[in-house]
Amino acid sequence: MKVDRRLTSFEMFTLTSILIGIKLTDTTPSLFSQKAQNAFWYIPLLAFICILPAFLVLLYLLYKHNAKHFVHLFELLLGQGLGKSLAFIIFILSFVMIALDSRNYVEQIKIIYFQRSSILIIFALFGGVCIFGAIRGIEVVGYTTRIFWPFIRISFFILAALIFESVVWQRIFPIFGAGVPVILEEGVSKGSLFLDFFLLTMAFSAFRKPSQFIKGGLIGLIFSIAEITFFFFLYTTVFDYNSIEKISFPFHEVTQYVNLGDFFTNIETFFMVFWLLATFLRFILLLYLITWLFGAIFNIDEFELLLLPMGFFLMVIGLLPDNAVVTELIYRNKLLNIITPVIALVPFLLLLIHFFKRKKDLT
Amino acid sequence: MKTISLSGLLILFILIGCEDMVEVDRQSYVIAVGIDVTDQDGIYAFTYQIANPEAGSTLAGIGAEQTPDETITVVGTDIMTATNTANSFVTKQIILDQTRVLIVSEALARSDQFLRVMQSAARTTEIRRSIQIIVSKEDASDFINNNLPVLEQRPHKYYQYMLSRAKETGIIPDADLHRFFQITEGDADLFLGIYATTTYDPKELDGSEDEFIAGQVPKEGGNATQFMGSAVFKEGIMIDRLTGEETRICNILDKTMNINELLANYPDPLAPEYQVATDVFLTDNPKVNLSYDSETNHATIDVTVPFEVKVLAIPSLIHYSQNENFKRTLRDAIEQYITDATDELIKKSQEAYRSDPFYWSIYIRRHFKDIPAYEEGDWHKNIYPNADITVNYQLKRLHFGKMLDDTKLDEVRD
Repeated sequence: MKVDRRLTSFEMFTLTSILIGIKLTDTTPSLFSQKAQNAFWYIPLLAFICILPAFLVLLYLLYKHNAKHFVHLFELLLGQGLGKSLAFIIFILSFVMIALDSRNYVEQIKIIYFQRSSILIIFALFGGVCIFGAIRGIEVVGYTTRIFWPFIRISFFILAALIFESVVWQRIFPIFGAGVPVILEEGVSKGSLFLDFFLLTMAFSAFRKPSQFIKGGLIGLIFSIAEITFFFFLYTTVFDYNSIEKISFPFHEVTQYVNLGDFFTNIETFFMVFWLLATFLRFILLLYLITWLFGAIFNIDEFELLLLPMGFFLMVIGLLPDNAVVTELIYRNKLLNIITPVIALVPFLLLLIHFFKRKKDLT
Repeated sequence: MKTISLSGLLILFILIGCEDMVEVDRQSYVIAVGIDVTDQDGIYAFTYQIANPEAGSTLAGIGAEQTPDETITVVGTDIMTATNTANSFVTKQIILDQTRVLIVSEALARSDQFLRVMQSAARTTEIRRSIQIIVSKEDASDFINNNLPVLEQRPHKYYQYMLSRAKETGIIPDADLHRFFQITEGDADLFLGIYATTTYDPKELDGSEDEFIAGQVPKEGGNATQFMGSAVFKEGIMIDRLTGEETRICNILDKTMNINELLANYPDPLAPEYQVATDVFLTDNPKVNLSYDSETNHATIDVTVPFEVKVLAIPSLIHYSQNENFKRTLRDAIEQYITDATDELIKKSQEAYRSDPFYWSIYIRRHFKDIPAYEEGDWHKNIYPNADITVNYQLKRLHFGKMLDDTKLDEVRD
């Protein structure tokens, strides 16, 4: 297969959409609803509004300095030592995040579809697929995502159409859920939902033109946030606040609930195929990006050789927590709260230095 | 050599995927699960109706006499461990993926154990939220054993057709597990479960055909099982049962019930010894107008139900279709009859149940800013029992079907 060496804005759009949009299928909605109750559906929107300025600043700086990726940008602005150590902090945080995330998805596969298989084997297979996919490089990943993206989205919207008759929209009231202060706090502290996009800026130089990255990325972000909000809205109105707190995987609960008429019952496997495809694409991409980040920090040009050990370590860390409830409600929740200030403030710090430096250059 | 070892490794990977595989003919598909109380708290009797996939299929061939199902009862603490106990005499692995109904005896439904059993059912991955909850008057095991449908012998078809048809006529509610948890966990309204029985206890005929609960419908022949009316659950415990007609009113007033056509008959206003058979269409969802005074915690609810009626039969042979005065009388009579029945039900729910079976709590929610305030307001202890409720039925159109007029009785019999 001959692959175009450089990616375009449509591929960026699909990559962003797969990375961020797929979060609507995991435990994120249940995590949000623990505190925000029935107002959790617009928390991603609040989080997005909080984090958007940081992303715009980051994209602006990358563009202005013509940087290869954000580690390169850090080095340009902060100097080699400081830049690399800041990038390393981000690496550690995202590494743990991805490990917990992958555990989360493996847990879903196990609990919903393969109840008797051991988690180790599912994890090993999952890791194997991700490593195998990631070895092909970012161009192939982007290309594959572009091909499968429409199918994944169509299956999601079939699901939305089927569940629509169970929607009782009055369930979004009381509109402020658990109360305004709680909602605002949750919205601000969960900006790290978009950490994946931060990592995606590693691939800044893999595009034909930087403007294509920016255009595709921003449209992809807006599309994903609309999609997440729409699906969270469906969850709120289908399950109501007291039940959503207790359900770990609302997406799968919905796929089990819907029927296509009287004849086609139990159709969750149809959705599972596309969901699994999206999950694989997402983790292939994440594994590739995190390894790239590692390679960039330690000046390893042939970083693709590190995919195997990196995938292995992700699996080992992912296997540490006891069960899905602990992973989700304690570790992931805390980690999300820690990451938010980092990814929200670092771009502004860089911006300050950028202006400071320019002033110095002028004088 | 290298190729062989590589492909060996590949096969190893693929074969791991078969770890969870169970052949279809090594599984027993349970269609109905029945739960009964035993003498001991926390121990229940579980009845499984297992379908026989070979019965009734053309592949089985002529002459192969196979029963369509097998019913077994075991004692256990929850649904899943009981399936393991059952494997001491059931040859195959018991699978609950295809389960359509959960049958609970009235004795269990009325005890505080019910919610505990249901909770364990929800935790089971195999059990879907679209399972219907049926409350049987007798023990669930007796219900399953006595239920011997003649025409639909295959149990999954039987439950599917029986329930969907009864729901179309509006005499039973839509009562899936999903709805049960929404309402019970929402802690605001009454949940209606399907009421059914196989014991026959006919009631005196006194006019309308809907004022029955299951078991009272007079009939001859057919299956002993009757689905009629509903079991009222408050906070996860059954407190009462509603007749077919009351259930129908609940279905009309509840916008989340997707029922928009039902058959009903009303007393003939000009010849009270007869009934007028009608087909009632709901042209639109009922409009619930709820105003709320937060200071006194008092709500006023105005409900408008627009509907259309198609007259199916006028046994009294009065010329309702042609005479404007008669037509108006019939209109008023139908509106009056259904309004009276509704008012009675609302009064009963406010005074006896102190909560509503119409899922109206969704309309009060917009009057609160956040959930703590909403829970403070307490819909089904404070607001609903004291609310002023008026229900206004508006008969938009009266159709008379394909006949312009009925047979003129005096001309035939002169």
